[in-house]
Amino acid sequence: MTPPPHPRPQPATPRPATPPLAVPPPLSSGPRRRGQHPGPLWRLLSSTGFRFALLFAVLFLLAGLAFTGVLWWGTAGALDRQVDAAIRADAMALAERWRDAGDPAVADAINERLALDAENQTLYLLAAPSGQRLAGNLEGLPQGFAPEVQWYGMSLERDGIPGEARLFVLPLPDGSRLAVGRDVEEKLRLRELLTEGLAWSAGVALLFAFAGAALLRRALERRLAPVTATAALIAGGDLTPRVPLSGRDDEFEALGRSMNAMLDRIAHLMEGVRGVSDAIAHDLRTPIARARNRLEEALAEANDPVALQGALERGIADLDNVTRVFQAVLRIAEVEAGARRAAFAPVDLVPLLEDAAELYGATAEERGQTLTTSWPDSLPLTGDRDLLLQALANLLDNAVKFTPEGGSIGLSAALAEDAVTVRVSDQGPGLSTEDRARVGERFFRADTARATPGSGLGLSLVRAVVQLHGGTLWFEEGHGQEATRPGLAVCFRLPLA
Amino acid sequence: MLPRFLLALSVLSFHPRLAFSAELRTVPQDLRYCQELAERLAAQPGGSKEPARSLGEEGLQLCNAGNVRTGVARLRRAMRVAQGR
Amino acid sequence: MRILLVEDDAEVGRFVKKGLQEAGHTVEHVPNGREGLFMAASENFDLLVLDRMLPGGIDGVRLVETLRGQGNHTPVLFLSALAGVDERVKGLKAGGDDYLVKPFAFAELLARVEALGRRPAVDAPATRLKIADLELDLLSRTVTRGGKRVDVQPREFRLLEHLMRHAGQVVTRTMLLEKVWDYHFDPQTNVIDVHVSRLRQKLDKGFDKPLIHTVRNAGYMIRAEP
Repeated sequence: MTPPPHPRPQPATPRPATPPLAVPPPLSSGPRRRGQHPGPLWRLLSSTGFRFALLFAVLFLLAGLAFTGVLWWGTAGALDRQVDAAIRADAMALAERWRDAGDPAVADAINERLALDAENQTLYLLAAPSGQRLAGNLEGLPQGFAPEVQWYGMSLERDGIPGEARLFVLPLPDGSRLAVGRDVEEKLRLRELLTEGLAWSAGVALLFAFAGAALLRRALERRLAPVTATAALIAGGDLTPRVPLSGRDDEFEALGRSMNAMLDRIAHLMEGVRGVSDAIAHDLRTPIARARNRLEEALAEANDPVALQGALERGIADLDNVTRVFQAVLRIAEVEAGARRAAFAPVDLVPLLEDAAELYGATAEERGQTLTTSWPDSLPLTGDRDLLLQALANLLDNAVKFTPEGGSIGLSAALAEDAVTVRVSDQGPGLSTEDRARVGERFFRADTARATPGSGLGLSLVRAVVQLHGGTLWFEEGHGQEATRPGLAVCFRLPLA
Repeated sequence: MLPRFLLALSVLSFHPRLAFSAELRTVPQDLRYCQELAERLAAQPGGSKEPARSLGEEGLQLCNAGNVRTGVARLRRAMRVAQGR
Repeated sequence: MRILLVEDDAEVGRFVKKGLQEAGHTVEHVPNGREGLFMAASENFDLLVLDRMLPGGIDGVRLVETLRGQGNHTPVLFLSALAGVDERVKGLKAGGDDYLVKPFAFAELLARVEALGRRPAVDAPATRLKIADLELDLLSRTVTRGGKRVDVQPREFRLLEHLMRHAGQVVTRTMLLEKVWDYHFDPQTNVIDVHVSRLRQKLDKGFDKPLIHTVRNAGYMIRAEP
């Protein structure tokens, strides 16, 4: 291929999104940590594991408290309510009796009730308006008695034994007062017992909560440890480690997987950057050197205007070639970075195939080659029209270049179930199995291709385009008829959706 | 330790009693009350039947022996039995 | 033509200005977007050649957007080191008429400048194009030379139509690929040359006066006189 005698500002060439030689910023160091909190307490508090665990413990305790509250209300509370109800009913009955028959009847009823109180728990008092005791087993109205207060809960001394009393004081219409009460010491004891039981179980629950929290935190940390360790290694500069996967199908596994995918992507992009710098070192140096030599030579021949002009023209052609390679490298980088996926649109491959066949068919014809084509009526895809044509163009260009004059080239496409398969076949020297593995590496050129001009970037770009469209690229034997020229078929498969 | 702490925390209605000084006092039960109960028992229609009668006697004896509290309790139980409760 | 060149690189600016002046155009060169906007808004130009990235807060895209917002429809050609497809689309969306990526050959720039500057105001609803004894009937899509019908394929017809619409102007290979085939890609080899030479053979066969001329280091031109 002779480079065209003028530069081609290539449309749709990659934008130097990242300066090709840009060294990626060091992954380690830098202001990664926010603030400076060296204390172990802070570390503990700022640990997500700890916070999760704490949340767990708090929830656990809240549940326990709710449970305790309900239990309490249902037992001790019920006891209290029962006692109060009994006292009130008793007092009302006595007041009724007083209305019917006056003080003596009430005194009699009180004595009767006391006489039957084998458990020795009831407290009664009928006090005259003066406060004098008329009947009952209480010495007098309680200390701190206030006429408007009906209910009293207070300490009691019964035959010298301390206890606790619940007392209801009912004023009677003539100014005397009726007090009915119960010694609730027994019930209090029961309540204390209940309380203690609950407290113990709360304590145990708290222990469980903390132990559970600690376990949870440990489990979280243990599951996160491989991720952290991998991240630390990566931050240290080694991009090869990956998060070991446990095989359990859970969230941590998903985290590990997506992190690995991300790392693969990063590694791939880094490789791309490295590829660009390699490319510059490898393939641009030569034409730049050639251009430089040519210009230097021209300087020496400055007194021969014809030679000078020729040298200058060749120098410009060399520089154009440098630009072309440069743009191809950048475009590959752009495609590999996936930046062009934004430009994807529904596209029918058939017009593209027709255009490519038309564009390169003429060239093939000029070389006495025949281009045979076959494809269905429509091959709908989602993709980048210019890139797909570029891929077809590169393959056809190669096929035309490597097929001897008078040979034939095949371009075919077929619709499979969920993909489009495209095949470009030639009668060239073909590729050995070892070379097939290496082709697509940037600048790789098979030994058999050394004599043919080319940058070695064509297939790299094809592969990048195919991968950008989620497809795969492979090689098959072409349709060459001689043993030395088995031919090569480059095939790729693009998924439909 | 922890349970104790929680005991204080969770039992809001719990007041530990400190130095004992009662706000309410009962009339002391004495021998006279024992006799009153015994008379009341005797007045009951079932007071002379067993086992109320012997329970009452036992109670009065206990009262006389100085164990007023137990005696009163026994007499009251006798009353209950006598009333068929 | 009176051309406004807004380019911050002094060397590129000097080179472009000199070349355009030698081609017979009047060129005003300003080094930043602010002055460029001022000039473009206050004076009349036939064409603006803008660097895409300019210092001074107003870049090429902003400048064009502002001008178009003011109802100024002077054709705009972007020069840019940004070669990404989205960059091109951004430039054209903002109101640019063409987009040329640096580094470029001056011939390419000149061809595009002249194509833009002499663009018919509204595509004249011509039904026939004529150069010397070559006639193109756009309705029946037939080509005749010296009254004799020449058989061309549809693509060749479009190729010829484009050349004839720009008769007397240089049309580069890239311009043909963009306008006739409607692709933006690097064809690797001289595929366009092959198509042009085929067309040329069909047209010039039996005539001693060639009509399609190769312009060295630039492209092609159709014209009556040799």
